[in-house]
Amino acid sequence: MRPTAWQRLDHLQPLIAGMLVVLGLMTVYSAHADWVRQLVWVALGAAAYTAAATFDYRRLFPLAPWLYLAMLALLVAVRLVGRTALGAQRWLSIGGFPLQPSELSKLMLVVVLAAYLSRLASPSWRGFIGALVLVAPVAALILTQPDLGTTIVVMAVLVGLLFLGGARIVQLGSLATCAAVVTPLLPHLLHGYQRRRLEIFLNPGSDPLGAGYNLLQARIAVGAGGLFGQGWLHGLQGTLGFVPERATDFVFAVFAEQFGLLGSLLLLAMFGILLIRLLRSAAVAPDRFGALVAGGVFVMIFAQVVENVGMNIGLLPIAGISLPLISYGGSATVTTLAALGLVQSVILRRPLLVQPRPLLSGNITLRAQA
Amino acid sequence: MSEPLWGFGRLVQLGGTAPRPRWSARMVAAAGVVVLMIGVLALKLAQLQVYDSTTLAALARSNTVHRTVLEADRGIIYDRHGVALVQNTPVWNLQVVPADLPTDARLRAAELAALATLAGQPEDRLEAALAVADPLPLRLGADLSEAQVLAFNERLPSLPGASIALHAVRTYLEPLTFGHVIGYVGPLDDADLQRLQPLGYQPDELVGKVGVEAGLESMLRGTDGWADVVVDARGQIVKTIAMQPPVAGHAVYLTIDASLQRATAHALAAGLSRDGKTAGASVVVDPQSGDVLALVSLPGYDTNLFTHGISQAAYNRLLTNPDRPLLNRAIAGQYAPGSTFKMVTAIAGLQEGKITPQTMLGCPSYLSYGGWVYHNWAGYDLGYMNVAKALAVSCDTFFYQVAAMVGDVTLARYARAFGFGQAKNLEMPGVQPGLVPDRIWKQLTCGVSDLNADSCRWTLGDTITFGIGQSALLTTPLNQAVYVAALANGGVVLEPTLVHLVRDASGRVTPAQQRRVLGTVPASADNLQAVREGMREEINRPYNMNYWFRAAGVPADGGGKTGTAQWGGSGLNTPTHAWFVFFAPFAQPDIAMSVFVEGGELSEVEAAPIGVDIMQFNLNNHGAIRATSPLPPA
Repeated sequence: MRPTAWQRLDHLQPLIAGMLVVLGLMTVYSAHADWVRQLVWVALGAAAYTAAATFDYRRLFPLAPWLYLAMLALLVAVRLVGRTALGAQRWLSIGGFPLQPSELSKLMLVVVLAAYLSRLASPSWRGFIGALVLVAPVAALILTQPDLGTTIVVMAVLVGLLFLGGARIVQLGSLATCAAVVTPLLPHLLHGYQRRRLEIFLNPGSDPLGAGYNLLQARIAVGAGGLFGQGWLHGLQGTLGFVPERATDFVFAVFAEQFGLLGSLLLLAMFGILLIRLLRSAAVAPDRFGALVAGGVFVMIFAQVVENVGMNIGLLPIAGISLPLISYGGSATVTTLAALGLVQSVILRRPLLVQPRPLLSGNITLRAQA
Repeated sequence: MSEPLWGFGRLVQLGGTAPRPRWSARMVAAAGVVVLMIGVLALKLAQLQVYDSTTLAALARSNTVHRTVLEADRGIIYDRHGVALVQNTPVWNLQVVPADLPTDARLRAAELAALATLAGQPEDRLEAALAVADPLPLRLGADLSEAQVLAFNERLPSLPGASIALHAVRTYLEPLTFGHVIGYVGPLDDADLQRLQPLGYQPDELVGKVGVEAGLESMLRGTDGWADVVVDARGQIVKTIAMQPPVAGHAVYLTIDASLQRATAHALAAGLSRDGKTAGASVVVDPQSGDVLALVSLPGYDTNLFTHGISQAAYNRLLTNPDRPLLNRAIAGQYAPGSTFKMVTAIAGLQEGKITPQTMLGCPSYLSYGGWVYHNWAGYDLGYMNVAKALAVSCDTFFYQVAAMVGDVTLARYARAFGFGQAKNLEMPGVQPGLVPDRIWKQLTCGVSDLNADSCRWTLGDTITFGIGQSALLTTPLNQAVYVAALANGGVVLEPTLVHLVRDASGRVTPAQQRRVLGTVPASADNLQAVREGMREEINRPYNMNYWFRAAGVPADGGGKTGTAQWGGSGLNTPTHAWFVFFAPFAQPDIAMSVFVEGGELSEVEAAPIGVDIMQFNLNNHGAIRATSPLPPA
């Protein structure tokens, strides 16, 4: 008795992802962004999902060094010939389509780190330092684009994979110590506007019409949603443009205004289920590489959800970061769906053990054949 | 059992079920972190969306829902046949709400620079004007053309706080002819504000300042409406969620006949320039109804200057102009009536029994009273004559005698009965009463505490000069018209009115009040007739102003009286004003008028032909002026 591919699929994961994508399209539409274009991105993402699920993730393992080099090349290319918008050099134009290599690099880094960490038998200091060295140029290139949001995600993937990959607590503790030392220096390392965002986060009322405007308007939108929300397409703040970056960074505020606390909690619950599902995928992965890939995707999405929702409701400082599957944006949508497809690929290839059927009739049948 | 299969299952072992997930401790910890973080986010969300929801929703509403005032159209003013005398012209202005400008100093400076260029005024002036206007919107620069509106509209999204505002501005048609009747609107001053704020006036509103614009303010002003509009982050209106439409003010149809007003203004201007004079006035009324058919004061001025914001220099020019164009002489110019007053003296003498229509009195070249000599205009004796003849030749010495017989108190009573010294209740502010003097008045106003002092004592000389319309007697062209109308209609003193019909916003037409009678002159029909005969005789005497009637082809069928009034001193070479009062036709008068020439030396030559010209137009267009038009157009 052979389980078909359909039976072996993790059905819940694409189901939740699909629901999130639909909610995302609805919100993008209500925010007056180009929802048709987003629909095209979703279609491309679905294709990427299928392709990634079909593709044997194990073949990526030997490709990891090349992936790493390709990632660095992309990030360097964006520095050299990239398009500048909103004060940052983040986009490459590929055949007329704007590509955001930093989005793509998140997934590539997950694969590369997973490959690197899966080879390490024991959590040695050498291996630990190696991982840091591997990530350092990537993080530096992204941070100086400047793209604080993606840098935070990259660092989260590093720490998360080290944690899931079995790094020693002492190693993680030393990393935390380094962070504690670097944090006071942060104001000097950050760009002017990044520093300003941090100040605004600490004191949002200081400049309600200036730089604190975004944060304040987002909070007003969320609060205006109330318990049940204003209803789809009936949000005032979001649809009238008071919420800045309403289809990307602050899409959650636009969503929360229209769907209220109930809708927001439902959205968080769906992300929660998706995240737990990704952890479970890691738990059922056939090998350490697959487990780390699934774990990396988990960390990547988790970090983005927490940072994005957190900054929308004023819990975390503003860093340009999109809400996976909800925000408008081609590179992010395709990358996230491809990442989920990759996890599906891991699940599809998990070993299935031959076990006696628990039913009596089954046993009889087996014996008879033997 | 490990045989590779197609596609998905190549590395999958066949025929089994999945192993149970191997949850490592760290994975369980990660799951815990997920639950924890989502819990924290959910708590914060609950705080925002439940606990702070009311406050934040109110903030969202004040962000997006703005109340705008919908200006009501001010009522249009027409003449009695529906000729519009004023228009509401739409005007677009660049407008800035100071509070909506960017707070960031650099952005603000950049925007102010852009606005200054657009409005064509220096940046520092703009900054100062904004500070003054705050929190009200500030209008920038000149009125915009349609092309400019289109051009500015494109730039507005990048200029927060700036918008294009549409206002209706009063445009007065033929202001030099109709200006003193219509007046103008202007911004509220502090006194207006205190008076009108309880009535719901806004500080940036316009209010009628002079003329019927002021006198009929409560009719002409509409009721502003409002609209709650949803605006987007750029301040552009997205939709209207509630509104109260404005109600336009009443349309007012004046008693003025536009063509007669033009003819009167033209005749007066022509008469003035013939004699090198610059100022004068004329009031034409219907002696049966009190309707004011024409009311002209020259020189006029461009009332439109005021509605578009007059410059200080232009205003100063108007104020310092020696001809005082801002003074509406027809209602507010107070002058001695001179010989035009003699009908009052005649009526008083007749009615008090001092003379009869047949009584013959001498008309010497002078008379002496109390050691003072009082001259007639003629240097020779005109012989004995009755009262009608005395009026026709305007014999001063005849009326000295009558006045002396009647006495000042009685004469003053008759003067007041004809409406002298009384501010008429015309529908515009600034109507002056003139002055009727007598011994009590003199004691009250001499300004000396000893009432027996010379300057406080009324003399016989005061009485007899009073009898020929001098002394301290003052009247206005409007009062003169009401007075001659009373002579024309048999002694009924009518309240003059400027309102013919009123039509409200729903189209309902209310006729003005019925004619209002101020009083009836205490004079018998015979005595009135004797005086009227004198007035007819005056305009029919050969070698006199009858020449003007014959020249103009106007039948001298009516009654008239000229007057050359001295002012500013006594003696033979004192400055004078020229008067002419007239009514026609004699039997059933339907027109009465006063003509006044400031500084006129010879009333028969300077004032009378103006009246004849007006009469000529009136006769030639009698049907059109008197036509009761069907309901005037909206």
